[in-house]
Amino acid sequence: MMEKNQITNLSHLKEILLPTDLWQEIKSHCRRKLAGEYLPGETEVKRAYGLLAGKVHDQVALVEKIFIFKKNARMIEPLKTYMDNVMAKYAVASKTPLSQRGWITDPEELRKCYDMCDGKGLLAIGTYHMHIVPWDHDPLRDTPTKLDMVLAKNTNMYCFIVSLVDPSKPIIRAFYEGMKEQEVPIVFT
Amino acid sequence: MARVIIPSPLRRYTENRREIFIDAPDLANTMERLFDRYNGLCIVREQPALLSIFINGQLVKTNQDEWSHIGLEKDDEVSLIIPIAGG
Repeated sequence: MMEKNQITNLSHLKEILLPTDLWQEIKSHCRRKLAGEYLPGETEVKRAYGLLAGKVHDQVALVEKIFIFKKNARMIEPLKTYMDNVMAKYAVASKTPLSQRGWITDPEELRKCYDMCDGKGLLAIGTYHMHIVPWDHDPLRDTPTKLDMVLAKNTNMYCFIVSLVDPSKPIIRAFYEGMKEQEVPIVFT
Repeated sequence: MARVIIPSPLRRYTENRREIFIDAPDLANTMERLFDRYNGLCIVREQPALLSIFINGQLVKTNQDEWSHIGLEKDDEVSLIIPIAGG
């Protein structure tokens, strides 16, 4: 169960330790979805969304487990209307229709994920999703968008951005509640 | 007395507590007392469309204005879930 002395306000982290095997797991998830390969019961969209869970001591978080979310509740009410409204207001225009963009977790899948975290004494450190299309003003796409920041507000979690603009050189960066000025360095272990 | 389970991202509002025990006859009163005790959880109240409640693992599909009709028994487990989203 939860360790009693774990800090649950994550805004003051100085460092996030990410084991290389878990970083590999994130990359594999993103690449599999991009390739259009889906697991049974997985929403068939070329987007990847997952959660990093771990422990926090002395302002350092150690990621211990990756949870891959399978179900995107983007088209399920009332979450659909919420996402439609947020995206209409904050999403940057793209060739992909807004209705096909964004990911919001299925509540049941998320509850089970949190239960598993509690069972292992882990905290939800953050979520990850990928950016794959370079923009003229942001060729690497390795930072959160305005939309990312709005969706991460008040989550008390880090928004991990996985840039696969260059698939041979994936990048991952972490921002508290999606705020660019609150980036925390990731150290691979 | 119901046991309310707080997910780790919200525990900064509950003095790091995972479990909150609340003595109330129904779901509406349980939630009211929870919000009274931990004011920071008002961010949950402000997003009613996002809030999902599970009782003993079962999703509550009833509208919030009818939660007073959902009685709670001793040892019932109430879980709060706010879905997380990305662009």
